[in-house]
Amino acid sequence: MSYDFPTLTDEEKRIYQGEEGIVKQKCMQYLVEMCQISGATRLVDLDGTGDMHTPGLALSQFYQITLDELADFADNGGRFAIPTFANKSPFGEQPPIDGWEKCNICGQQNPEWRQDDPAFHKKAMHEDEFAVLRKMGMMTTHSCANYLTMSYLPSVGQHCSWFESSQMPYCNATLGARTNFDGTLATCLLGKAPYYDMHITENRYGTILVEVDRKIKTDLEWDVYGFTVGEAVDVEVPIVTGTSRPTTTQYQKFNSAMSTGGAVRMYHLPGITPEAPTIGFAAGGKHIAKTISIDNAALRRNYDILNFHTSNDVDMVYLGCPHLNIVDLMKLAGKLDGKKVKIPLWIMTAPWLYPQAKALGYTEIFEKAGAHLMSGACLAAMGAVPQGVRSIAVDTAKQAYYITGCYPDENDPLQVCYGSSDDCIDAAITGKWHGEWR
Amino acid sequence: MAEVKRIYGRTEFPGKVTAEALVAPKYLQGFTNVSPWQGFTTERNHPLYRIPYTDKVLVFYSPRGSGGFLAYGFGKKPAAFVHTKSSPLTVGCMLQAHVPSMTDFDEDPLPYIESGDTVFVNADEGYIEITKKEK
Repeated sequence: MSYDFPTLTDEEKRIYQGEEGIVKQKCMQYLVEMCQISGATRLVDLDGTGDMHTPGLALSQFYQITLDELADFADNGGRFAIPTFANKSPFGEQPPIDGWEKCNICGQQNPEWRQDDPAFHKKAMHEDEFAVLRKMGMMTTHSCANYLTMSYLPSVGQHCSWFESSQMPYCNATLGARTNFDGTLATCLLGKAPYYDMHITENRYGTILVEVDRKIKTDLEWDVYGFTVGEAVDVEVPIVTGTSRPTTTQYQKFNSAMSTGGAVRMYHLPGITPEAPTIGFAAGGKHIAKTISIDNAALRRNYDILNFHTSNDVDMVYLGCPHLNIVDLMKLAGKLDGKKVKIPLWIMTAPWLYPQAKALGYTEIFEKAGAHLMSGACLAAMGAVPQGVRSIAVDTAKQAYYITGCYPDENDPLQVCYGSSDDCIDAAITGKWHGEWR
Repeated sequence: MAEVKRIYGRTEFPGKVTAEALVAPKYLQGFTNVSPWQGFTTERNHPLYRIPYTDKVLVFYSPRGSGGFLAYGFGKKPAAFVHTKSSPLTVGCMLQAHVPSMTDFDEDPLPYIESGDTVFVNADEGYIEITKKEK
């Protein structure tokens, strides 16, 4: 039945017993419990990076660190053991970092959480907490796609502790580094994580071969294929064939879609991703017991599932799930230059790219077109759309699938039009949805 | 007397409880697609859409999607979890839930358990017992 206490080193035992203070002790107790739940028999020392996304300073409902305790830890020289970046705001309010002034929604549909209210924004930024976290070394990137801006990517084989479903396959598959879904104060502060699942080489080998009868080339194809593969394999490690070489945008879409349709934290693209020079290598030299064949009908079926609307009228367009990279912004500015949108078009990027977008003139182009650039947040995570919006167009499976969950009203569900970025831009300009699976 | 089937597995979180099963015939997804304060899934098109799981043994294959699956461990949570496959998503959930949870069984219980069956989750001793509901 297991649920055994892991084997700890002498140093880890001292921390567990509180000899290095209350903050480290609570972090170690939490990691020990994570070992017991996961079946990990020991901890692994992290040599990569951390991506922290924990609700406040609470590791769980049962392990909470107060701000005073953490401030005291920082004042006495306490620092994160590994380079640690902040995911989106870890607090419930989920404020945009930039562009909040025109974000006319109430977070989590709470009338007291108006994102465009300066007093609310100031409170929602939780500067007290982040000042302490920065003192400990946290780099406040505030992105769900931190790999875009962290400028310090882990190398192949390095052990990391990241958060965010779309970042799991980015770290494991795209970069070849190793992470589980555990980027918290405990792992980043101690530089240790339970040694299980993706930290172990044997668990990273491909177990299912995925084939498709249509070459996957466009951003939309990568997104729909990702959702479809995810649904088909869930927690298995697929060896995925039938694709072109992905761009960064396509990696972003594929990774986020696979971790929406399923729970894919590792996959292989033979000849492309670092641990898959060949199919045989990706499988660890073992026989691949199962092959899944995906046809165009299956892709079309999931495209239709991701669309959830009875009318082609669109009230709003949202682009930026995961946060857009700088090339996405450049292309978007090119397409919107000289145009005028008919309905709100919100664009979300990583905070560290926002100043660059402004310097390159993209922000001005967006504003002239009537679009609005923000950073550091997510519409689904904010849990709301502007008042009066009942139909939204998006270009990623992830946003398409989560945004409706904010409105579980059988009589008036939020409608979602899902398609390519160009379909969304067209919708923003015309107010109508013309997208289709081609 | 109703037949009782016992299946051994791995304890994710200890404890004992007997409760009615609620079986998810499709992956469960957290984040916005669950309402922990109301105790039901809010995922569109899901067979368990708006069906309360509170105080039941929630039986499923495995989760998908966001780390926000941990929301199943908050608020009006299930009495216990029984699931076929474990993953970092279930680990994150059990860190929050602290209710009996079992996984990685000698025999997959999912094909055998139906909603309405009674399940004794004995995560202290590493097994579950299923009593079929009366037809």
